[in-house]
Amino acid sequence: MAIRDILTPFTAWKKVFREPVTVKDPLNDRPGAERYRGFHKNDLTACIGCGSCEAICENEAIDLVPVEGIETKSGDSGLRPLVDYGRCCWCALCVDVCTTGSLNLTNEYTWVTEDPEDFRFIPGAENKPWDKLEAGWKKPEPNYEFYSLKREAMEELHPGDRDKSFIEIVKGYSKEQAEAEADRCVECGICIATCPANMGIPEYIKAVRNDDIEEGFKILYETNPLPEICGRICTHKCETVCSVGHRGEPLSIRWLKRYIADQVESSEYKRILGTDGIENNGKKVAVIGSGPAGLSAAHYLSLMGYKITIYEQYAHAGGMMRYGIPEYRLPYDQIDKDVNYILSLGVDIHYNTQIGKDISLADLKEKYDAVFAGTGLHLGRSTRIPGTEHENVYQAIDLLNKITDGKEIHVAEKIVVIGGGNVAMDITRSLTRLQNQKYGKVQMIATALESEKSLPADVEEVVEAREEMAIVNPGWGPKSIEIKDGKITGLHVVKCLSIFDEEGRFNPQFDENNTNFFEADMIVESIGQGMDISYISGDIKDSLKFDPRGRVTVNEYFQSDAPWLFIGGDIIQGPDVIHGIANGHKAAYGIDNFLNQNK
Amino acid sequence: MENYIEDIKLRFDVKDIVSRRDNLSFITCEKEKTIALITHMKNNLGFTHFVLLTAVDWIEDGLFQLTYILNNPNAKIDIAVRTMISRENSEMESAHKLWQQVATYQRELREMFGINFPDSPGVTDNFILEGWDDIPPYRRDFDTKKYAEETYFPRPGRETNDPAEYMKKKLS
Repeated sequence: MAIRDILTPFTAWKKVFREPVTVKDPLNDRPGAERYRGFHKNDLTACIGCGSCEAICENEAIDLVPVEGIETKSGDSGLRPLVDYGRCCWCALCVDVCTTGSLNLTNEYTWVTEDPEDFRFIPGAENKPWDKLEAGWKKPEPNYEFYSLKREAMEELHPGDRDKSFIEIVKGYSKEQAEAEADRCVECGICIATCPANMGIPEYIKAVRNDDIEEGFKILYETNPLPEICGRICTHKCETVCSVGHRGEPLSIRWLKRYIADQVESSEYKRILGTDGIENNGKKVAVIGSGPAGLSAAHYLSLMGYKITIYEQYAHAGGMMRYGIPEYRLPYDQIDKDVNYILSLGVDIHYNTQIGKDISLADLKEKYDAVFAGTGLHLGRSTRIPGTEHENVYQAIDLLNKITDGKEIHVAEKIVVIGGGNVAMDITRSLTRLQNQKYGKVQMIATALESEKSLPADVEEVVEAREEMAIVNPGWGPKSIEIKDGKITGLHVVKCLSIFDEEGRFNPQFDENNTNFFEADMIVESIGQGMDISYISGDIKDSLKFDPRGRVTVNEYFQSDAPWLFIGGDIIQGPDVIHGIANGHKAAYGIDNFLNQNK
Repeated sequence: MENYIEDIKLRFDVKDIVSRRDNLSFITCEKEKTIALITHMKNNLGFTHFVLLTAVDWIEDGLFQLTYILNNPNAKIDIAVRTMISRENSEMESAHKLWQQVATYQRELREMFGINFPDSPGVTDNFILEGWDDIPPYRRDFDTKKYAEETYFPRPGRETNDPAEYMKKKLS
C-alpha cells in the first residue's frame, strides 16, 4: 500500500468547515405539483362502495373490504376500497371513474415505513397525514366523464295530446336511445339488493348495450315474469340508489327493462326461454288471485312442473295492475302479453270465481296439494269525516275498477281527491281525462296530509297530473264535507303540521287556525286500501297466527302456520307490484320444498 | 405564429391546422414529406429545439400517429407536426440526423409501439423492457391485465368482495 493511500482520507478533513454544497434532507418542503398524483384519500361517508374503482384498475391494486362502523344498507355496500401501493401505478383512473366523487389523489408522494404491509391501506379509514390535503389529482370538471351524466330523454305524449284520452303516455326507447342509455351503466350492481326481486339489472343492461335482446330477456325472466308490466309501472326503487345518480341522473332502469320486453314478440317467448314441453310432476297447486304475486307463483311453479289453477274474482287477469292502474300508464294489451305467456305454460284460470263465495278455501285444500293466496288490497279505506256517507263520495279503487271494466261512472264538474299516493294520482288523472271529455275543462284538486316534499306518489305522477291541469295542493287534513240541500259543495281542510309522532306512529297534528275550503260536488277518497281475507275462516283461520295489523304471519317462504297455505303479495308486504312478484317467486320455492318433503 | 404557418402552407401540403394556444399549434403532414418539413422548420424557420416525439395508436383506423413537437426559442412558440403511418409493418424515416437525441425517442417508440426507424442508431437495443417477449405494450391490443395475471403472482391473503353479492348476503 502506498503512503498516499493512507494519507488521502485525512485530506478530506480540510473541507470540514466549508459551506456544504448539498441540500440537507431534500425531501422536506418539496411538495408535488398542484395536480400531482400521490396517495389516495377517500371520503368514506360519501363513498358507497360501488366498486367502480376496483373494476377499472388495470393493475388490480384495489380490493373492496368491509370497514368497521360502516353498515351495509340500501344504496351502500358498506365496503370501501383498500389500495395496494405495491401495485398502484398512480394512473388515477379510479378517481376519474368514481361515481360519487369521494375518491381523490393527494399530491403527497413520500411516506416512509419499515413494514411493507403498511403500504396496503384503506384511504380515509386510517388517519394518514395527507387525508386533509386539498392539492392533488381530482377529476377535471366539467366535460371529462367516462359516462354521460344525463339520461337519454324519454319521449312522451304532450299534455295537450293526452289529457282527453287513455292512450299510453310513454313512447319507449328506440334501439339507439336504449343502447346509449345502457352505455351509462357502470355495472356496479348496487341496485340489485334494493330491487325486491333482486333482478339482474347490470346484466340485462349489458345485454341491451350488446344488442343481445334474447340474453336480456332470459335474464328478466329469471326473477320477473312480468317484464312488460314492470317495465312500465314498477316503482323503480333501484333507480333511487343508482350509483350514477350521485353525480348525475340515475340510469333509466325501468325503461331499459321495458325496451327489452317490447322487442320480443309473444310468439318467440317459449323458444327464447326454452319453456316448450315442461314435464308435469303430477302435483297440483291452486293460486288465488291473478295479481303480480299469484302470476309470479304460477309462473315459477309451472316451470317446476306443477299443474297450476288460478282463481280470479274478476273477468280478466292482472289484479290491481289491471283494475287499479290506468291504461295510459299500463295498456291492457301489455298486461295480456305477460299474462298470456304464463297461461301458455299450461296454467288454468277460472275467471269470475270468488273464494269463500263460489268455492271455499277448504275445498281448495282438498283438491290441491298446496294453495297460494295473493288476493291484494281491494277495499278502499274511508277518512270517516262527516259527510263521507253522501252518495257522491267515492272510493278511488272502486272508480278505477269500473273505468277498467268500461262501466260508466259519475264524473262531476268539480272534484276533490283526498290522498297523495300513486292511486290518488291515478284516479286524479283518470278523472281529469273524463272531465275533459265531458266538460271540455278540468276542475280537479288533489289534496293530501303529506307536504309537497313527502308525497308518497312518484314525483313524475305529480308533475304529470299538474301538466294535465289538475291542482295538487298537499299539506291539508280533511275536516268535513260540506253538504247543502243534499248536494256536496266542498271539502273543509285544516293545515297539517306533521303526520307521525316521535315514535313514528301515525298521529297527525293540525293548525286549527289555518283552514281552507276546496269547492267540489264530488269527493274521492284515496287514502289507502285494506284487505278482504274473509275467505280464510273457520278451522283454517283458527290454525293461523295474525300480526297486530291483521296480516297472517308467514315464514320467509310465505308459508303460514297451515303448512299447505302460502300467502304473499300486498296482503303481506308492499304494496307494490315488484314485492308481489318477489313474494310469489319465493313462495314457489317454498311450495316446492313443502311438497317434496311430503314425498 | 401565423407567419410560420403561412410559410409552411406555401411549401408543404399540410392540413388539420389547429391552434391550441397562442404559442402552440398542431399541423398534419403526409408521411413522405414530414422529415422534409421539420428539416425546413429547423433550418429556415428557427425551430431549432426538438421537444419530443411521441405516438398514438389509432387501432380502429389501422394507423399510428407520430407527433414531433418543435420549439422556436426566439419566437417562444411550439409547432407540433403530426403524421399518420400505417399500423401494419409500421416504419418511419429516422430524424436522428437533425437532432441526435431523437434516436432515443425512436428507440423507445420501437420498443413500446413496435414502430421501426431504420438507420436510427441503437434502435433495436432494449430501452426499458429487458427480455420482453410479448407484443409491444403500448399497442392498444396489448392486454395489460391478462399479461399481469399471467406474469405476476398475487399477494397472499388478499380478499375482495363483489358489492352486489355482498349486499344480497347482508341485506336478505
